[in-house]
Amino acid sequence: MALMKLNASPESQETEQTDQRPRLGRLVLPKKLSSIRTVRLAALWEAFLVATSSLRSNKLRTSLTLVGIVVGVSAVIAVVTIIKGLDKTVASTFSSQGSTVFTISKNPQIIKSREEFVTFSKRKDVTHEDEQAIARLCSACWRVGVAANAIQTVKYADQKSENVRVRGVTPTTMFDIDGVTIDAGRIWTEGEASSSREVCVVGPDILKNVFADAPPDRAIGQEIRVGGRPYEIIGVLEPLGSIFGFSRDNVVYIPYASYQKAYGARNSIVVFIQVPTAEQLEAAEDQVRTIMRNRRGKTFNEDGDEGFALETQDVFLDLYGKATSNIYLVTIGVAAVSLVVGGIVVMNIMLVSVTERTKEIGIRKAIGARRKDILTQFLIEAVTVTAIGGAFGVLTGFGLAYVISALIGFPLLINVASAVMGVGVSSVVGIISGLWPAWRAAKLDPIEALRAE
Amino acid sequence: MSDVTLATTPLSEPVVHQTQVRVAHDPASLISMREIWKTYQMGTEAVHALHGVSFDVKKGEYIAIIGPSGSGKSTLMNLIGCLDTASQGEYWLNGKNVSEMDDDELARIRNQEVGFVFQTFNLLARATALHNVELPLIYGGVGSSQRHEMAKQALKAVDLLDRVTHRPNELSGGQRQRVAIARALVNHPSILLADEPTGALDTHTSMEIMDLFERLHEEGNTIIVVTHEHDIAARAHRILHIRDGLIERDEKVR
Repeated sequence: MALMKLNASPESQETEQTDQRPRLGRLVLPKKLSSIRTVRLAALWEAFLVATSSLRSNKLRTSLTLVGIVVGVSAVIAVVTIIKGLDKTVASTFSSQGSTVFTISKNPQIIKSREEFVTFSKRKDVTHEDEQAIARLCSACWRVGVAANAIQTVKYADQKSENVRVRGVTPTTMFDIDGVTIDAGRIWTEGEASSSREVCVVGPDILKNVFADAPPDRAIGQEIRVGGRPYEIIGVLEPLGSIFGFSRDNVVYIPYASYQKAYGARNSIVVFIQVPTAEQLEAAEDQVRTIMRNRRGKTFNEDGDEGFALETQDVFLDLYGKATSNIYLVTIGVAAVSLVVGGIVVMNIMLVSVTERTKEIGIRKAIGARRKDILTQFLIEAVTVTAIGGAFGVLTGFGLAYVISALIGFPLLINVASAVMGVGVSSVVGIISGLWPAWRAAKLDPIEALRAE
Repeated sequence: MSDVTLATTPLSEPVVHQTQVRVAHDPASLISMREIWKTYQMGTEAVHALHGVSFDVKKGEYIAIIGPSGSGKSTLMNLIGCLDTASQGEYWLNGKNVSEMDDDELARIRNQEVGFVFQTFNLLARATALHNVELPLIYGGVGSSQRHEMAKQALKAVDLLDRVTHRPNELSGGQRQRVAIARALVNHPSILLADEPTGALDTHTSMEIMDLFERLHEEGNTIIVVTHEHDIAARAHRILHIRDGLIERDEKVR
């Protein structure tokens, strides 16, 4: 009969101090230390096992509980991922022209109010003379050019392409300022430009749309009609790609003189100024501002309208930044609402779970679980639910972003930090919503709890 | 609360009893209860479930507490098992004054000093026999390999080593109660406290369980069985008869 010797002998029992009574299960550590370290770990692991097994045995309930958390987290993850992808596209797009370029124009790109519109329309046009003055007087400026745009239809034989951007530029350094390069053929000569010859350099989209995707060499020398006027193709540009689904290669460059001949000289022009490096941008802007103020007859520090607009590409970036930060705000709002709702659902389910398992809590308390053991058990259960919800949310969020990025066409940037955030925030929701049910469980009277069915 | 209804007869308040001569607790006793009162507040009325119970239990005794329902024996069992605290009086268990302990200290006493055996077994339905037996060790902070070893030993002591991975619903009533007994013993408690341990078992299985208790007693365990059945109580060596919240008779059987 291999029965255990279940207690120390009566003699030793009476002589020894109770706390020093030898126990098989005690580590030889100071009492406090051993109970803190080992109890916590063992009880935590037990709590985790209980949590996962109780979640497994209530699969439908668990998944319904998760919905709120999943929606909230996936919304945030999807939006953050999409916007990060767009950021990258935007940054690379504008860096082709880059932060070394600024413009002088009559009206800014964005007019914010009716009053502004009235003010700006009173301004004098920016002219070729302004451009020449800047080119002559601004020592910090590297390249200065002029560009004007029109939207026209391009035809070749029976093929036609609408909404093509016609860009009249001078001098040919405008190609460099625009950040475009020649793929095949050549840029027009000084002579061709000054004699306003009908020559053009086309973007690759023109080949695709009216030359049935022919190689660049085959298009060179051909004559296309732009807005009804004939132009000879002398060069083809390298592709730039598209942004937000809009191609930047659907363009025809012509000499500025030819542009004036076709579309008149009365419109205000836009002067493009480039500096060698971004550090020199401010100095060049100051010089150009002074030159233009002089030309508009404004003295230093005079109040009122300057009479021209000096802008960098930052305007677009600012606008873009404002738009995306609004999207962020809305998303955070949506996420907050669904996390709160999700948290309430979790709290509700945890209360049900505590009620259902009152007997189990009674048993655990009877055999020595302390309040904090029970509290941790239910907190861990709540956190496990919400963390799983968060993880699912992260996955569906990335999935959603993947689909959208494939549809619109921007790079998918998987951000580990946002994934960690998603799981982290939902775990916090779990702690908050699990606290009250867990506390109710912890303070249950063991006798009452054991009596429950 | 059927246990306390009989005790509603107007009796003097416990305050009066405090003036009585009080015998200090016996340090040689494993259990030493002195003038234990348990009073419940039912609306405006104070209901006494125990009216100043005093008794001692020596180490290695096998005691039955018997009484009709409503006599206060469940209340007394809850107090002995540290599931509840007395309204008044002193309770010393294994040299510790339990009557002044807070919730967490009581939990620790339940974990270390008391092994419970219940009428309805009270095993965790989803856990295996082994895990059920390990549970007190988990809350006692025993490392996992040692825990495993101790739980297996306890299951061996109740002849259930072949049922280690079974869940309660795969075991018979007698086997479940033996798992519960293994769980009660695994922490080497000072007392084994059984509340109607055969109440849910047939006669044959009941006798097996009672034989097991006898064996455990011979091994040196202190056992207290709470019951209302005389033939179960007769297996003990000493019987405390409870009636109306008092020990009516303290009977040495063997």
